[in-house]
Parts: sequence; C-alpha cells; structure tokens
Amino acid sequence: MAHAVEFDQKKAWQGGESPFRMSYGKIFMWFFLVSDALTFSGLLCAYGFIRHKYSGVWPVAENVFTHFPFVKAHIPLAYVGLMTFILIMSSVTMVLAVEAGHRNYKKGVVLWLFLTIIGGLMFVGSQAWEWWHFIEGTTEGALRKVWDIDQGKYVEKTIFGANMIVNEYGVPQFANFFFFITGFHGFHVFSGVVINVVIFINVLVGTYERRGHYEMIEKVGLYWHFVDLVWVFVFTFFYLL
Amino acid sequence: MEFNDNYPVYETMYQHGEEDGRKIRKKLWRVFWILLGITLLELFVGFNATKWGLTGGMFLKVFFIFFTIAKAAGIVLVFMHLIDETQFFRYTILAPYSLFIAYLIFIILVEGTYTGYPENNTNLEFGYKQQQVDKRTAHGQPIPESLSHIKPSPGVKAHGGHEAAGEEGGEHKAE
Repeated sequence: MAHAVEFDQKKAWQGGESPFRMSYGKIFMWFFLVSDALTFSGLLCAYGFIRHKYSGVWPVAENVFTHFPFVKAHIPLAYVGLMTFILIMSSVTMVLAVEAGHRNYKKGVVLWLFLTIIGGLMFVGSQAWEWWHFIEGTTEGALRKVWDIDQGKYVEKTIFGANMIVNEYGVPQFANFFFFITGFHGFHVFSGVVINVVIFINVLVGTYERRGHYEMIEKVGLYWHFVDLVWVFVFTFFYLL
Repeated sequence: MEFNDNYPVYETMYQHGEEDGRKIRKKLWRVFWILLGITLLELFVGFNATKWGLTGGMFLKVFFIFFTIAKAAGIVLVFMHLIDETQFFRYTILAPYSLFIAYLIFIILVEGTYTGYPENNTNLEFGYKQQQVDKRTAHGQPIPESLSHIKPSPGVKAHGGHEAAGEEGGEHKAE
C-alpha cells in the first residue's frame, strides 16, 4: 500500500526521528483513545457481570426496544439497526474525508465532513428518540413492586416507562446501565459532532490549506471512528445478547 | 552521536496522489459493505433468535461476540489506518489494551462471585446462606430447616449456647 513507511527498525530508537513515524498529535490521540476504550470496557464488563447475576429477571432488549418512528407495529431491533447503519455510514464518510485530505483536495473534505456532521446529528437525534420512548414506556404499563415511603413497605404499582428508580420492563439496573452507558456514548457522539463542526469551519476558512496538510482531519477522524467502535460493542451487548 | 536536525515531517507522510486515492477509496467502500453485511446478518439472527430457540444459548453469544470483534477489527485496522502504521505503534496500542481487557474479563469471571468459601464461589445467594449457617453455628443458635443441608465452613467451631452467652456477659462486665 502507498502508505507503508519503510525505515531501518534497528536505528529507530537512536534519536533524530520518531520510532513510531507519526506526528505528536496523532500519537497522543491514539493514547487518549486507548484510555477511553478502557473506560468503556470497564463499564461494559460491569454491565455483563450484573446482567449475568440477574439473568433470570433481566429484560430482553427485543421486548423493550420495539418501536419505529411513524409505524405502529411491533418491530424489534429495526430502529437500533437503523441507528447502527447511520453511524457506520457517517464513519465511512469520515474516512473518505480523511482520504480527500491526503490528496489536499479541499472540496472533497468539505463535502464528506459535512455529511459526517449530518450523520452524527441524526444519530444523536435517534438516541434522544430512543431515550424518550424508553422513559415514556408503553400505554399499558406493568405491575412492579416499588417502595412506598408513607407505608414503609413495598407495594405493587403500575409503572410506565423507566427511570433510575423503577423500570417497567424489568429490574431497575437495566435502566441504570442503559442510561449511563448509552448516555456516556451519546455524549461522546455529541462532543465528536462539536469537534467536527469546529474542524469543518477551519477547513472552510482555509486553515489547513495554508498549513499544507489536512492531518487534523485524520485526528478528529480517529476520534469519530472510536465512537463508532464503541457503538459496535454497545449494540452487541445491549441489544443483541 | 551527531545531532540530526532534519526531523521528518510526519504530517505529510501519508499524502498520496489521485491514482493511489482511487485504490484506497475502493478498499474503504469494500470494508464498508462488509461491515454493513455483518450488521444485517447480526440483526437477522437477532430478529429470529427467539423463533429458532437460540435465546440465551452459547451459540448466540459466540456468534455475536465473534462478529463484533470482526467489525471492531475492520474499523480499527482499516478506517483508523492502524494497519498502515509501523509495527512498533501497532503493538504499543494493541498489546497493553488487550492485556488489560483480558485481565479484567478474567478477574470478573473468577473473582466476581467470591464469597470467601471456595466451594461456593459460583453462587452469590449460596454464599449468603453459608454466612448465615456459620454465624448461627458460632453462636450456638439453631439452624433453620431451609439451611440444614449446608455444612458450616471448616474452621468455624460450634460453641455451646450457654458458653457463648457467658462470654458475652463477661465482656459486658469488663466494660
């Protein structure tokens, strides 16, 4: 491949050049992503542990996320499949923006980065819709035991939707983990969109054209792909398994 | 060693021309279609899992985790260009991460349900029952019918009811 960098590995650590053959900014973006990946792994491992412990009463995602906008039907997994498609699609537009940057082709970068921002906004919006539906719950609700402060004991009540204390669909831990992990991921997507917008403005005003290279696109691209990567795991562990 | 002032410009090292760009784009789109195909396959299986009686089974777990890692590899290696970096850098990123995650999963599987009694480590509820039995044995209290099948842990000595009460009384007097 054109990118392959050839150099003498024996001389790599003798100074005068980076043994990684990479710029400072990119190396540290990678290091940041490794630490962030460890955070998400810790969260997902905790989720897996609690889920295993409550495997008997844990809600099945297929029975929770069954809605699709504008369609009144029971379609499990379709909406989250669409969200995954949007994120993978925005990931490929991002990598095409990076590729256009490698050719110093400003118009290409503008087009693909713009589409990436649109994809990111669509994803954040979809997640908001998913949260809203999860919080609102079904019209029938479900009977759950909840703590009554006045009576000082657990009483059966009809619960609609989920929050941090009660959950219509099953144990409250499911909602807690769902809100925390998808919320943390959604916050990453949101910050990714903000960073993309900043870089997009920089591209438009010609900052990188003057600089002679579009490496900044590559750096924000790394972050954006990382967000997609996390979603791949969240998708598997929350919705499929 | 002589001082090297000609530090390479790494920022422009990965630039390429129109000809290479076409090849790279083709590769990127191919990876995209593979990722999309895997996602659709996963959704198809997830959609029919209940119908096919696979829910909660080992096959489903292995299937989904395998394809998840395949997708992650596609994203990290091709979209994030890790495959194009130097060998040093690939291992600097992947080795510590894999090590930590392997250790985290191992420790959660092995120690996650630790109760202090090696023979009962697989079940949290059982560990709690074991604690109750040990406590009651140590204080010479009767053990209820529902817990009678659980033996006290080795090292827990049974005291007579009176003796235990006497010891407690003694402590109170000393205070």
